[in-house]
Amino acid sequence: MYPAARKKGADYVTVEFKATQHFQPEKARQYINDASSVFHCHHYATLITQLADDAKSFRGPELLAQAAEEFAFRELSKYFEKNGITEPRERIEVAESYCGFVGLGSIRLELHGAGGAAEMRHSHVDEGWVKKWGKRDNPVNYIGQGFIAGACEAVTNAKLGSFAVREEQSIVCGQPASKFTISATRQGAQA
Amino acid sequence: MTIDREKAIEQLSQIRVRGNAEGLIPAFGVLVNQFPTEFWNSFSLKILNEAGEALRDDAAGLLENAAGECGYHTGWGIINSDEFKSIIGPMIDPKTPLEDTLRGAYAVFTAWGWAKAEIVELEPGEKMVVRAYDYYEADTAKPADTAKKPLAFMIKGVSRAFMDIAYGDKPYPDGHGTFKCEQTKGIELGDAFGEFVVTRA
Repeated sequence: MYPAARKKGADYVTVEFKATQHFQPEKARQYINDASSVFHCHHYATLITQLADDAKSFRGPELLAQAAEEFAFRELSKYFEKNGITEPRERIEVAESYCGFVGLGSIRLELHGAGGAAEMRHSHVDEGWVKKWGKRDNPVNYIGQGFIAGACEAVTNAKLGSFAVREEQSIVCGQPASKFTISATRQGAQA
Repeated sequence: MTIDREKAIEQLSQIRVRGNAEGLIPAFGVLVNQFPTEFWNSFSLKILNEAGEALRDDAAGLLENAAGECGYHTGWGIINSDEFKSIIGPMIDPKTPLEDTLRGAYAVFTAWGWAKAEIVELEPGEKMVVRAYDYYEADTAKPADTAKKPLAFMIKGVSRAFMDIAYGDKPYPDGHGTFKCEQTKGIELGDAFGEFVVTRA
């Protein structure tokens, strides 16, 4: 089970995501490490999520989750390789730290061989949604779901699409934390 | 004094944020995120492709609307922020406060990685033309495979929102929707720059 132990001790050091940020004036781009990045607000994230939700008939939620899965997988995989991070426990801590660094929320990930669980005590998508429109009856954190899947794939060196994530309870529904289950897909099980 | 765009961009571009202990970035009266631009582009293209020809314009309109609300609410927060007041505030001429505030807002727009964009024509209260010489929404279109339709929904929405803030029929927060924006040129269409014309709706 990853991480094997989270107990704090004198020899336990939490590994954090470290970023080099710079502005390239010729193109007017902001970079976090080498990824072109941009500020957006909860109004934008909420309305993009609403758009995905409205587009259920043509896989809107799945497409938004896929886009998030791709970015988490890509950025974390690059980071692990560049920084020589191979230990699953350290990779998970970096993934959790990266989630907070980009403002998506606070997350705890636990991975077993075939799956795991995640919990978010704070969430940009949920808290942004509540700020804009109030609570709702169903989970809506498609970006968070995708991020978790992509992070799990990067942590385990699996291919994109290897993990499926389901949001079981949600801050947007009034719960104190959002909880997700993580399971290996058929593709992931065969990998 | 008028806006010293280069100086403003140089100073504004050095502002850094990171998530707090809760993994959130509260700033300018909103929650901010700093995701890779490729994430936003990827979703836009996926949803447009999946929508197909019949629903493409509806999806495009909703993408622009997301940016419009972002630009209106967060834009208001930005121009009232300490950062804006300290860097842009001293450059604002009391005789032309709205025009200079708008020009300052495009310095922010440029410095924070949305688009290398500036106002090239401004008819106060009526019309604004913005040119963007580089913008992340064009990244998805390769030179040899330009898009058939414009893709800069974020610049469109934010540009009309900025005019709503400056010259809306009603002051913030009730002036949203006073203006509309048309994208007349686009890097993703093979043009040298993107051009955005904002007029009354």
